[in-house]
Amino acid sequence: MSKRSLAWVVAAAVVGVIVWPASPASAHPRGNFSVNQYAGLTLTPDRVEVDAVVDAAEIPTLQDRPRADLDGDGTLRENERSIYARAECARLADGFAVSAGGRLPWTVSGQVYDVLPGTGGLATSRLGCRLSAPVSLRSPATVRVDNSYRVDRVGWREITAVGAGVRLASSSVPAESVSGQLKTYPADVLSSAPDVRSATIEVGGLGETGAAAAAGSGAEAAGIRAQGGPSWLASAQSRVESLLGGRLTPVVVGLAFLLALLLGAGHAALPGHGKTVMAAYFAGRRGRIRDALAVGGTVTLAHTGGVLVLGVVLSTSTALAGEQVLSVLGVVSGVIVVVVGARMLVRTRRGRGLEGHSHEHHSHEHHSHDGHSHDGHSHDHGHSHGHSHESHSHDHHPHDHGHAGSQEPHSHDHHSHGHAHSPEPHSQERAHRHGHGHSHAPRRGFDLAGIGLAGGLVPSPSALVVLLGAIGLGRAGLGVALVLAYGVGMAATLTAVGLLLVVAQNRLAGLIAAGGWAGRAGARLSHLGRRVAAGTPTATAALIVLVGVGIGVRAIA
Amino acid sequence: MRRTLIRLGLATAIAAALLGAAAVVTRPAPEDPTTVPAAQSAVRPPADLLGDRIARAQQRLRDVPGDWPGWAALGGAYLEQARITADPGLYPKAEQAAKRSLALRRDGNGDALVVLGALANARHDFPAARDHARAALTIDSFDADAYGVLTDALTQLGDAAGATSAAQRMLDLRPGLAAYTRASYDLELRGRLAEANDLMRRGLDGAVDPHDVAFCRVQLGDLAFGRGDLDTASAEYAAALSADPSSIAARHGTLRVMAARGDLRGALTGYAGLTASLPSTSALLEYAELLRLAGREAEASQQLELAEAAEGLFTANGGADGLTAAALALARNRPADAVAAASAEWKKRRHPDVADTLAWALHATGRDAEALPYAERAVAGGGHTAVHTYHLGMIQLSLGRQAEARTEIDRALRTNPYFSPLDASTARRALAGLRP
Repeated sequence: MSKRSLAWVVAAAVVGVIVWPASPASAHPRGNFSVNQYAGLTLTPDRVEVDAVVDAAEIPTLQDRPRADLDGDGTLRENERSIYARAECARLADGFAVSAGGRLPWTVSGQVYDVLPGTGGLATSRLGCRLSAPVSLRSPATVRVDNSYRVDRVGWREITAVGAGVRLASSSVPAESVSGQLKTYPADVLSSAPDVRSATIEVGGLGETGAAAAAGSGAEAAGIRAQGGPSWLASAQSRVESLLGGRLTPVVVGLAFLLALLLGAGHAALPGHGKTVMAAYFAGRRGRIRDALAVGGTVTLAHTGGVLVLGVVLSTSTALAGEQVLSVLGVVSGVIVVVVGARMLVRTRRGRGLEGHSHEHHSHEHHSHDGHSHDGHSHDHGHSHGHSHESHSHDHHPHDHGHAGSQEPHSHDHHSHGHAHSPEPHSQERAHRHGHGHSHAPRRGFDLAGIGLAGGLVPSPSALVVLLGAIGLGRAGLGVALVLAYGVGMAATLTAVGLLLVVAQNRLAGLIAAGGWAGRAGARLSHLGRRVAAGTPTATAALIVLVGVGIGVRAIA
Repeated sequence: MRRTLIRLGLATAIAAALLGAAAVVTRPAPEDPTTVPAAQSAVRPPADLLGDRIARAQQRLRDVPGDWPGWAALGGAYLEQARITADPGLYPKAEQAAKRSLALRRDGNGDALVVLGALANARHDFPAARDHARAALTIDSFDADAYGVLTDALTQLGDAAGATSAAQRMLDLRPGLAAYTRASYDLELRGRLAEANDLMRRGLDGAVDPHDVAFCRVQLGDLAFGRGDLDTASAEYAAALSADPSSIAARHGTLRVMAARGDLRGALTGYAGLTASLPSTSALLEYAELLRLAGREAEASQQLELAEAAEGLFTANGGADGLTAAALALARNRPADAVAAASAEWKKRRHPDVADTLAWALHATGRDAEALPYAERAVAGGGHTAVHTYHLGMIQLSLGRQAEARTEIDRALRTNPYFSPLDASTARRALAGLRP
């Protein structure tokens, strides 16, 4: 839909309001028709001051000329300019409403009107005004700005705010002008010209001079940002992208795989991914080598699956923000960890050994989960089919029909949408089967799978970027392979950590057996440990529950 | 088995309770003013929904700069925004985005070609638009958007048959708003006004976005005005304004109705405001005509100067629009320049409007014999707008063909008695003189 609605443009353009040539020689980013405004607020303990600049392009300058050229001789004399500047600044002061309690009464000064040469032998103009009004900002107050001066014109509109002697607790506008007060307009294809007509500034009372805490940038929240990792991670990531964009030789592909592996390993080494949970679990119930392998394997499966599903969803739909999905997945993994912890708690309380199990239990679990995930799956499917059409075009019949041609991407979208909301039951089922393989400890298998799932469920942003980049470049297959490599890298690190834990445990036991000073220290330690031992499983289980809650809450917040 | 169930239930309950409690405890503090814009997003107008879409696409392209379909989509979104805001500064950005897409992927990139074609149409470079559309169609012969660009280009180039079949193809592929409005315009040019009206109404029925609703309403208003139905026209423009209060075209239509009803003072005030917001050439020309009608000659010429300045800028920036240049030259009483501009345009494209303007410019220089074939050509497609018919009648009158002139002038007045504040009364006087 987003991509395909563009054709609509043309009918209007041809019947057209305005035509526009190929190369606008104008310095104004919004063309020869624009009236561009900048207003810089300075808040002091007892005044609000505004530096206002209006940069009018060729056509509005020409339109304003009859009002400025009082004697109608075609030139603007010094006194004509100053009379016009006063009149226009008065209009601006009228339209530029600032309130702090009540609307501030402006005193206008410093009016200037300059005419500058523009395109095609025409002129552009700059109006400057300084507005000032008394108001006490010694105690916390809210300052609101609402500009209605010439807002019916197309134009670049900017507002900034700084405190001088007062502290700005928050501000919806930045402290610095991005255009140097309408002198150099940044020409970035990927940013839209600002059209800021209002602002809200919270004054926190007297304080240091300067800007407010950074104004929230909506753009950053809109997309998926690579999480702050070490700088080598970021640079390696960009290297992967540049590699993918270039020509694909076997060496390049090999290098890309190696990088993806390293990235995955590095990523898993960062905080998170259930390493704490795994350590606690192993400490609580004596980990074995195959347990460490199981966790690593599950992480790879869950992570690869999650990234693939999310990647497909995000690359086919611009309506879905990556952050939402990530936070949902975060909650899901939190819940899983809590369930694992709670199960341990329950079992400890019942004083049951971990080997104790019955086949009956196992088959029951299997069934219930299987049934569950199937259910959720098909439900989602049916639901989203009727759903996302509705979201875009309620009773939009022609559009509906219109999508006949683009049926494929749409249905694709639905499909993956359904997946995205139910990756949990889906991969859980898979994870369960994994546990089934180690049929001697299905219970433990379930727990381990849960830990692995929780660690791998939330896709790493860098893996997503790699995949999205590859999809964007039309090399989706390579992207999938790279994500798989990434998952393997992650699994390697996590398995290694798990093995380390297992080995450390065994070592400790070995030391105690061997005696010696280290053994004695170990024995003392283990004596201490034995004392605590009675409580250990409970403590670790509780710790796991806590960590799970933490994961879930962090995802929500 | 029971125990397992109980235990599972217990674990789930504990988890849910813990998470719930944690969620309540750590819930974000009540919104402070900085987050208000985000909270308002649910009720923001559709222009901002488009803005959101653009912001998301921009962010995504910052993350994934190699996403060539993404660049094309961004270019299309900029064009859509340009249509809604009438902000020409978006055209260069749309072009940069489309070219970036094409640089990333030269082959098989139909999306980018469609955006470039739409841009070329907006710049009145119709041959380029046609070529882009055809190139896009060789990539994907089912690309409805490419047919849309092709329809517009062929219509403007005067290839009526080609335009009709392209519009039909688009209608078959994707019978939506874009196809209905194009097909409607095609029918209008062929004089099948009732069908044009029906199709536009179907377009309106399917329109959800207020800007789309306003667009269809304005078109319906223009169709009603063209047949002299001021009440319907007025109602449609009002409906357009209630859907999108910032619609320049709807304001413009309202003022045309006002002038047609004889409210000169109100119309003049309105045109002053309209041209202050957006000084488009057509609005400035009409404003100047009304000012002249009111005897405010000096102000009229100010408006024409403004229109000429805009035209000069357009040319200085590398554009060429002979039709506007000719209309301006006629208004400035420089018929020779008008003939030059219109015949240059006629060499490029054979649209009925160009034929009409060329005929009228030739008539203004007294070359009626040369003018006649063009005037006839203007109505040959079947579309008998009042203006074109009136021009034909006046040219025939100058050539001494009284009977034909009477038929045509009478037809013009019957089609739309309000077609022009100045010319309609001229037509009436001429008709009175021609009565047997």
